[in-house]
Amino acid sequence: MDPRAILDHEFMVAAYVATWVIQLSYLAWLGLKWRAQKRREARMSRNLR
Amino acid sequence: MKKLAIGLYGVLTVTLMIWAWYQAIYVAPNDAMQGEIFRIIYYHVPSAMVAFLFFAISLVGSIGYLASRRSHADRAQIFDAWALAGAEVGVVFCTVVLVTGPIWGRRAWGIWWTWDARLTTTLVLWLIYVSYLLLRRFAAGPQVQTLAAVLGIFGALDVPIVYMSNRWWRTQHPAPVFGGAPGSGMDKSMLPAFGWNVLAWLAWGIFILILRYHVERKSQKLAAQDAEAALYGVSSI
Repeated sequence: MDPRAILDHEFMVAAYVATWVIQLSYLAWLGLKWRAQKRREARMSRNLR
Repeated sequence: MKKLAIGLYGVLTVTLMIWAWYQAIYVAPNDAMQGEIFRIIYYHVPSAMVAFLFFAISLVGSIGYLASRRSHADRAQIFDAWALAGAEVGVVFCTVVLVTGPIWGRRAWGIWWTWDARLTTTLVLWLIYVSYLLLRRFAAGPQVQTLAAVLGIFGALDVPIVYMSNRWWRTQHPAPVFGGAPGSGMDKSMLPAFGWNVLAWLAWGIFILILRYHVERKSQKLAAQDAEAALYGVSSI
């Protein structure tokens, strides 16, 4: 296979992987924030009772 | 019912993402000049479009907050939550643009970065909205939301400059593919892959935007409960 085509393919894969890493990392951070809020809410309602 | 709707939308979004990826990798042909690296455009351009849209949502939220903060406090908080969600998810998409662009540039131009008008204005846009998020995260006091709203409005002013930059100035960045000079545009065989990816990234963006909005609204409600508990001397921690 043409070495230029191999390099093109590797750069394309790098761009696609980088996109998904950024998007899924943000989603994971959002999920953690959501879970922390749920716990805080439960703690607050327990203490207010 | 609400959970079912969210679940269905999530499944639809993931299906759309897989289909769009399949279109970009296996269906769209290689570009005659650039070969396979041209396929980066299917992630790069839709991400830029979604980022612009979300910065526009942040602009509307910021204006709404400033307009209603004295007369309708509850409505102002809703506007503020949309402004924050739009800015934050917009930054995520803008980061994708600023990462995938240089990866393409390294192969196409032989350099990772150049200070041309399109690249520089996009970096400035990203920096403005990162400042917005840092202000929201680290500043305290009653004026934070107002200051952030003003910054959000100024940040959005950069969006049309970014869009027009490669029309107003001769830049190293490729000329506009859509809405550019006569003869510009994309080959018909590439259009479906491009369209599916715009749709898929928009669906994904809306999904995380709504999620971020709900997290912020919950945060506002917890802060209000906290303040109320402190006022009446009840420990909420």
